[in-house]
Amino acid sequence: MTLPLLDVQDFSLEFRTRSGTVRALQNVNLRIAKGEIVGLVGESGSGKSVLSYAMLGISDAAAKVTGGRAMFGAQDLLTLDEKTLADLRGREISMIFQSPRTALNPIRPVGLQIEDVLRRHAVAARGRTGPDAGLGLRERAIQALREVAIADPERRWAAYPFEMSGGMCQRVMIAIALACRPSLLIADEPTTGLDVTTQAAVMDLITGLARERGMATLFITHDLGLAADYCDRIVVMHAGHAVEAAPTKALFAAPRHPYTARLMSSTPNAGSTLASLEPVPGNLPDLRRDDLPACRFSERCQRVTDTCRKAPPVLSPDDSHAVACWHPLMEAAGV
Amino acid sequence: MSETTKHIKHVLSENPVTLVAAALFAFFVLVAIFGPWLAPYDPLASDTVTALKPPSLQHWFGTDALGRDILSRTLVATRLDLGIAVSAVVLSFAIGISLGLAAGYFGGWWDIGVIRLADTIMAFPLFVLAMGIVAALGNTVGNIVLATAIINLPFYVRVARAETNVRRSAGFIEAARLSGNSDLRILAVHLFPNILPPAMVQVSLNMGWAILNAAGLSFIGLGVRPPTPEWGILVAEGAQFIVSGEWWVSFFPGAVLMLAVFSFNLLGDALRDIFDPRKRT
Amino acid sequence: MSEQALLRVERLSKRYPVTGKRGALLHAVADVSLHIGAGESLGLVGESGCGKSTLVRLLARLIDATEGRILFDGQDLAAVPAQRFARTPQRGAIQMVFQDPTDSLNPRFTARDTIREPCLLLAGMDAQAANRRVDEVAEQVGLPLALLSRFPHQLSGGQKARVGIARALAPRPRLLILDEPTAALDVSVQAVVLQLLDRLRRELKLATLFVSHDLNVVRLLTDRVAVMYLGKIVEMGPSSAVFSEPAHPYTQALVSAIPGHGPRIRLDGEVQSPIDPPPQVCRFASRCPVVHDRCRREAPALQGPAEQVAACHFAAWPVKAAA
Repeated sequence: MTLPLLDVQDFSLEFRTRSGTVRALQNVNLRIAKGEIVGLVGESGSGKSVLSYAMLGISDAAAKVTGGRAMFGAQDLLTLDEKTLADLRGREISMIFQSPRTALNPIRPVGLQIEDVLRRHAVAARGRTGPDAGLGLRERAIQALREVAIADPERRWAAYPFEMSGGMCQRVMIAIALACRPSLLIADEPTTGLDVTTQAAVMDLITGLARERGMATLFITHDLGLAADYCDRIVVMHAGHAVEAAPTKALFAAPRHPYTARLMSSTPNAGSTLASLEPVPGNLPDLRRDDLPACRFSERCQRVTDTCRKAPPVLSPDDSHAVACWHPLMEAAGV
Repeated sequence: MSETTKHIKHVLSENPVTLVAAALFAFFVLVAIFGPWLAPYDPLASDTVTALKPPSLQHWFGTDALGRDILSRTLVATRLDLGIAVSAVVLSFAIGISLGLAAGYFGGWWDIGVIRLADTIMAFPLFVLAMGIVAALGNTVGNIVLATAIINLPFYVRVARAETNVRRSAGFIEAARLSGNSDLRILAVHLFPNILPPAMVQVSLNMGWAILNAAGLSFIGLGVRPPTPEWGILVAEGAQFIVSGEWWVSFFPGAVLMLAVFSFNLLGDALRDIFDPRKRT
Repeated sequence: MSEQALLRVERLSKRYPVTGKRGALLHAVADVSLHIGAGESLGLVGESGCGKSTLVRLLARLIDATEGRILFDGQDLAAVPAQRFARTPQRGAIQMVFQDPTDSLNPRFTARDTIREPCLLLAGMDAQAANRRVDEVAEQVGLPLALLSRFPHQLSGGQKARVGIARALAPRPRLLILDEPTAALDVSVQAVVLQLLDRLRRELKLATLFVSHDLNVVRLLTDRVAVMYLGKIVEMGPSSAVFSEPAHPYTQALVSAIPGHGPRIRLDGEVQSPIDPPPQVCRFASRCPVVHDRCRREAPALQGPAEQVAACHFAAWPVKAAA
């Protein structure tokens, strides 16, 4: 079996706050193969963004890793020093964020912002051989703008973020992230807040470029439907646990974790009626509690037994359709 | 313990500097209130025999040219200085915040008018303005308070205007209009309490500045006049003796003045932390 | 069409002067006409820049229109300036639920303060009556009474949304405008709130205007829907019909972009500027996949054989999806 590009093993993280310790992530397993597009789906509070920030070493100051490894190739990202991480960011692993306007420097032309990344990772020098050989920084920046389907890239090089629409700013952010051809892109809710048609265009762009370059993508979202349309595999998170991981088709054909099933049934789609929507009962448990049940979905689950509360269910990453549940749903739908 | 008290306690304990600032501030307030009773000597009693004596056990801060105890004079001056500063700041705050709220909320001519007023005021150096007011209205403490209040007006106007601008189109303001609020009520009930935190920080910084203003004006003879003890006057009285070696006449009042301004500035940081909702978990 | 429609909007327009360009006007809302009957639910969909937020604020009387009439129970509300509308008796009859529950609650008011305010100001109740009304309406929206003394930052997203709904219902409105009420909520909470809104609408026989960019959600909660593009209504009709068989090319593209709806119709070309648009050109012409010459010479009016109408000369033509 080939080594996965990113292999997160047994990862746990907590936040020390004034009102207690928030056990934000617990024993999370996640694997991304080279060139694979993985969707990380969960609601707010599930820990999906926290996980990706921790990978890149940009967590909040109050965050503390309490266990596990994050193997990127042969290196454990969690043990790297800041300098090595800084070299890695942008060059091997890139990230794009939710609000493009706040991620761009408002007083710097977008073309220069792309060049900044190129310059930081000395890519112009690297580009002496290969397809971009001979191109200066400016040409490479214009090329990057062209690749994200921005019309008239030579002129847009000098544009400021405020002169561009939300969708265009998002494209610029993608151009910056992909300028150095990273092998892994983490996209944190890149289309939330965008119109439906713009959303589709941006997702087409990201996945198109990913396929073209064999770039792996971790696509973080709360929109299960969106993940279904674009991802090869989906990992579902709930309250800091990875509860299910499966290829997209298999997941939708037969979700095995009760939470996944409920998530699907509470999302309106073409065929549903109001009455058919089944929301997830209860609320997210408070992650500061000391008496959290072993399976954090216990208090919201109708299949709960004592085992669920005492013994943590484990998601075994070797299974193709993995689930962390003592009483997973079987073939037929239904809770 | 209420959440607010818990939060305040946390802010104070998080940064030792904040605790120091709070303690100093409390100290000055106490001295202002109890000054006359704390003073070991009558601040106005002169005794030429003990003139210009250096600091000693009987006179901790030494004595001045007329034999008056500098410690007593400095302690008693606290009340006047703080009084001038507080009055000026309160006046500034009330007028400045109101003008800024109106400018930020109504825009248009209100905005233009208020900004022009603030610009005009900012163009005047304090001393020129104070001298102008004194020349026109007379050399009294009240007019010094007025001059200091006017000079500080633009700060409050700008803070209020900026914060109001940001919040003017917030959802809850629109919702307030839907709930039947008139413009005036929105300004008073919805906007004002929400812009208070940043304005409070401004208040603390201004207090330090206002104390300096009052001392500076007294130094050049405007407003408070001898023999009334006031820090600026005390420093002025001692200025001529520095060269001849009687350093303590200016030094101690000056040091206390500096400490007061310092503690108010530090307090500004603490106030900001206390009022900043993002600092709460 | 019902003569006794609760809300009848006639040729409503809003134009803003453009700073920097003398005489230029931004047409945010152009010539919009629609109606909502008592107890009826109309959806309003469109993407950013289509003018639905402006239209909503015109109808809620937060801003003044440039032209047109807003007839509520026969009375033209547009005649009263927005500045003074807060004090008219109709203020309590039209209420709104906002998009972002966090932004739309005063951070220094408890939930009870927030819900009580319209009772005191609009319904003229005294403190006791107002408190009783707060309890009553909190129960209606499923908000536990214990939460009423909390501040917004102590409430979850779903709870804040309920406070916003309770506030809007407190003065017993007859028309409720819902401006993307579930956009900021998690999917599981969204389902609960949608079911709540539907139940309230039926129980209280409220007329509602439901604005959303999420077409799936709009389809579930509305009887009819209007689609807006660049300030104009381009299609209107029964919700099920408009979504299953959209007649206007823009609606077709919109529906096709929903995840899971099959091949996407791509819209290429630049969006026309809303500043001084030439009146004889269809506003969608610059991006329309089936544009013809006629579209640039004669702007189409809303027309259609039955209840479903579309502003397009070639409405019946199916559009080929991008392969």
